[in-house]
Amino acid sequence: MDAEARRRQLAAALRRVAGGDRAALRHVYAETSAKLFGVCLRILNDRSEAEDVLQDVYLNVWRKARSFDEARASPITWLVAIARNRAIDRVRSGAGARSSAPIDAASDVPDPTPLAAETIETAQENRRLYSCLEELETRQQAAIRAAYMDGLTYEELAERSNVPLGTMKSWIRRGLAKLRACLER
Amino acid sequence: MSDTGKKDSEGMGLTAAEYVLGVLNAAQRRAAERRIDRDPAFAREVAFWEERLGGLAQAVPEIAPPQRLWSRIEARLGRATNAEDERGGLWRSLSFWRGLGLGASALAAASTAALIYVGAVGTRASPLIARLDAEGGQAGFVAAVNTGGGSLTIVPASLLAAEQKAMELWLIPPGDKPHSLGLIDPNRPVTIKVPKDLLTRVNNEAVLAVSLEPPGGSPTGQPTGPVIANGKLAQL
Repeated sequence: MDAEARRRQLAAALRRVAGGDRAALRHVYAETSAKLFGVCLRILNDRSEAEDVLQDVYLNVWRKARSFDEARASPITWLVAIARNRAIDRVRSGAGARSSAPIDAASDVPDPTPLAAETIETAQENRRLYSCLEELETRQQAAIRAAYMDGLTYEELAERSNVPLGTMKSWIRRGLAKLRACLER
Repeated sequence: MSDTGKKDSEGMGLTAAEYVLGVLNAAQRRAAERRIDRDPAFAREVAFWEERLGGLAQAVPEIAPPQRLWSRIEARLGRATNAEDERGGLWRSLSFWRGLGLGASALAAASTAALIYVGAVGTRASPLIARLDAEGGQAGFVAAVNTGGGSLTIVPASLLAAEQKAMELWLIPPGDKPHSLGLIDPNRPVTIKVPKDLLTRVNNEAVLAVSLEPPGGSPTGQPTGPVIANGKLAQL
């Protein structure tokens, strides 16, 4: 199935979840739980915590599906946002130090092949994001990717990269400003 | 920068981006969330970044969660919603309905059961019921609409299987196109909330139909697959 068909199908299923349709929630779970579990696990670095969070995520989807607005968000990014927010909140609530990977690990993750079979997002939107990221300085790009994927604070990012906090803030803030300008071009 | 308004809006955009990126601490995150609730411009900024940065999640590998997780979620759904599910009792017992589906007096018995059921959930409005016949005239489903409570319960009355396909329920008011009521489960009774605007048009002229659709349901909002069962609603 192509990305656009899959997106339409997920959006249709979310509309039904909003109407209290359990079979539709099950479908959403079947289609997206591996992605969201990957996202949670990456941030939490702990399987059992990630399982707890994932459970909360789908209960949240069940209750909040009404607020999904197709005109404003694609279904998968809406779901990813819920999962990341839950996972980050769990980490920030003082779960303690996470086992840390060097910051370079994030930049080592290869860019996904835009037309890979598992692509959920429309390939075009993502190509734009990745080409805009390419325009950033390497360290800005690495910091933004690590922050997003690992869910790290400025302090944690600075510590991992072994740079002063102010330096890390300025990399990321400048990177975000440039990214925004590029995305809006 | 001399233009304060512009500076504010840039600062707002930055905070939204920082929130989405995940670099804020717990207190700053709570502050950002409160702002999402009361500041639509800020909420739009957050939505912009969620949508754009969302592409980064594509690089995170998929990892299948353990099988048991879905059952845990489903169990909590049961407690979280739809009180009628728990009150259903006999109405929701599949073997009871399967038995009815095989007998000639299915509709009469179903009507009685529906009346008892709808009576039990305390509606004053007169209930509507339908038997949805499958090919060959066998009862495929039995449905009852509790117009007072705005819900519809549909029960599989015979063994219907559709590998890789979802079953979607449609309401067709007289002279109108089909309106989706959502996906149903061929293996167990399902109670569906009927949208308010449709509820007023559910009468003894309306038809219920079940079609086979791709997983997740019809992508077009109209039936795309074959209709496997249908029937007219009747007032009890």
